[in-house]
Amino acid sequence: MTYRMGHRLVSAAAGLVFAVSMLAGTGTAHAQDESPMAGKKVIFVPISMGISLTEGWARRMREHAEIGGYSFEVRDAAFNTGIMSELLAKAISDKPDVLVVHNPTVQLLARQIKQAEADGIKVLQINLQSNQPSTAFVGASWERIGREIAEDIVKECGAGSGKSGKVAIIPGQLTAADSVMMNEAAFKVFEQHKEIEVVSNQASDWEPEKARQITSTVLQQHPDLCAVFGHWDVHTMGAGNAVKDAGKSDDVLVYSTGGGDDVACKAVEEKIQHRIWSYDADGQGRDAGTLIDLMLQGASIEDGSMMIAQSPLKIIKSGEGFDPSLCWKM
Amino acid sequence: MSADSAAAPLTLPNQGSGRRNMLERVVAAATFLLIVAFAATIDGFATTGNLGIILINSASLTVLSCGMAVVIISRGLDLSLIAQMVAGATIFGMLISGGVAAPLALLAAYLSMVAIGALNAWLIAYVEIPSMLATLASSMFIVGLFRFAVLRGEYLLLLPKSDPTVAFFAGRLLPFLPVPVALMLGTLMATWFLLNRTVAGRIIYAMGDNFQAARLSGLSVRVTAIVVYVFAAFTAITAGLIMASASGAVDFRTVTNGTLLFEVILVVVLGGIPLRGGRGGLRNIIVGVALIAVLRNGMTLMNVTTQTQDMLKGLILLAAIITDNYLNPRDAETDTAGDL
Repeated sequence: MTYRMGHRLVSAAAGLVFAVSMLAGTGTAHAQDESPMAGKKVIFVPISMGISLTEGWARRMREHAEIGGYSFEVRDAAFNTGIMSELLAKAISDKPDVLVVHNPTVQLLARQIKQAEADGIKVLQINLQSNQPSTAFVGASWERIGREIAEDIVKECGAGSGKSGKVAIIPGQLTAADSVMMNEAAFKVFEQHKEIEVVSNQASDWEPEKARQITSTVLQQHPDLCAVFGHWDVHTMGAGNAVKDAGKSDDVLVYSTGGGDDVACKAVEEKIQHRIWSYDADGQGRDAGTLIDLMLQGASIEDGSMMIAQSPLKIIKSGEGFDPSLCWKM
Repeated sequence: MSADSAAAPLTLPNQGSGRRNMLERVVAAATFLLIVAFAATIDGFATTGNLGIILINSASLTVLSCGMAVVIISRGLDLSLIAQMVAGATIFGMLISGGVAAPLALLAAYLSMVAIGALNAWLIAYVEIPSMLATLASSMFIVGLFRFAVLRGEYLLLLPKSDPTVAFFAGRLLPFLPVPVALMLGTLMATWFLLNRTVAGRIIYAMGDNFQAARLSGLSVRVTAIVVYVFAAFTAITAGLIMASASGAVDFRTVTNGTLLFEVILVVVLGGIPLRGGRGGLRNIIVGVALIAVLRNGMTLMNVTTQTQDMLKGLILLAAIITDNYLNPRDAETDTAGDL
């Protein structure tokens, strides 16, 4: 009995030592899994926090950072392009492993992106691309959004629709990356359909009130306007309200594009906007997080060309096909 | 002293007054010419419908300009006007979104902005900080407080257009009278009454003309400063309600990046109210707003880009200031009056 007890104790102790060593081994393996990214540094310089788009991205990227054990910092430019250049210069001097940049225009940060890459910092451009290529880009294809919205406008307002074919475009800024690309793609489509007439193409500086004033004035001059194409759902709220206040919600289609949070669905449900091409900011945030993980582990294309993760699009439509599940909530 | 030399100084103010009105006349003439040119060349400009749009779209600018004009006439400046406008609209928007009854939400929004106006006046009249610095600081404080403590980092607050109060402010009081235009007319009348029919109005002109003289002669300049900045706060929140209800959004970028404050000062200066104060009235505000409103409407109809519009407005302001300096050169009086 004594022998048996002793034997059992020895067996149990041996089992415990084995289990502990196994656990320790697993722990080492886990630490080895983390090692390529742990302790590394990522800095995100958005145009501004405080909007669902960037908050949604940051939330998902932060989740990836927590899992990967690397640091993730946000440097908020608060819609000030001057401050943004300074923040980016400071971020470059802090020598992060990956820099995530949200370009306000195609030109503004081009030189700094080039400098960062030359200094060995991998740059991930998010949603708005600069003229200067870098290691990676994650975001929507603005060419595709511009083209698809223009094609839909042609279908709704062009030959055979019985409508005037008059369209008002409200870009954010004429030099903003997305506005430039969407306008180029849209005009390419419209040029093939001479019945489409762009009666106004005036930037709103991304402000709802300016978009409202432009739309109400254009609607007065062209009461038979068929569609408004706003380049961002936020400022297009003003344009949509101008259409609604003029009692033309059923006659003028309001198109826009955006990150697709629940506010967008509410606007479509209330027919302030009719069709929104959503690039799903929540999904983009996760794509960005995955790309950052890969970049921190050394991923790049051998010939130096840019890795691209194009965001899938969701089309939120008013009317019978309205589906609120297409939007995400913060 | 001969009779001639004694009479000479007495005739100067009249001559000066004639010259001082020149800018207002030049701007009024320019507006008239612009209207004629736009009517002849732009389809859809000279219609009653477009006149309605011009009035609705310039309502909030006019209301803000009334507040700024009163402040400037008293030889002050309120750089926090747009911040107050957006902050007031935010309070209203958040309260009605939270289910608070509309009258209570309106009362809270107006009272909060009155408190900020009074704080501005206290800093300027009692602590004796220059108005430009005091209101610049309060503008920064308001934006910071509201963005981070109230909106928790958000820039935008969307107002539910389905709310009856929001719909009221964007709707019509009478079939031919939109609510924004009615509020604009009400504010213009209140401004006229304040400047021309109250004791405070007379003191406002005296403060602008010669602040030290007004103070030394026993006028209640400190209490009047409170009236001035609280009135400006009233105009700010009224403009905020008009703008937020129409566009369905309260947007803090109007303060941080927008050109609205610049436009308000532009209206006052173009109308012929000198930045050194002491002169001007309702007619000047109307002349200034008319030029900007007509120009903005015409350029939008002509599909001129927003950036080009800003550039042209800047050139017009510069031209107005140069014209003002030419027509109203500095003399012994204006030199001692000082500038901002």
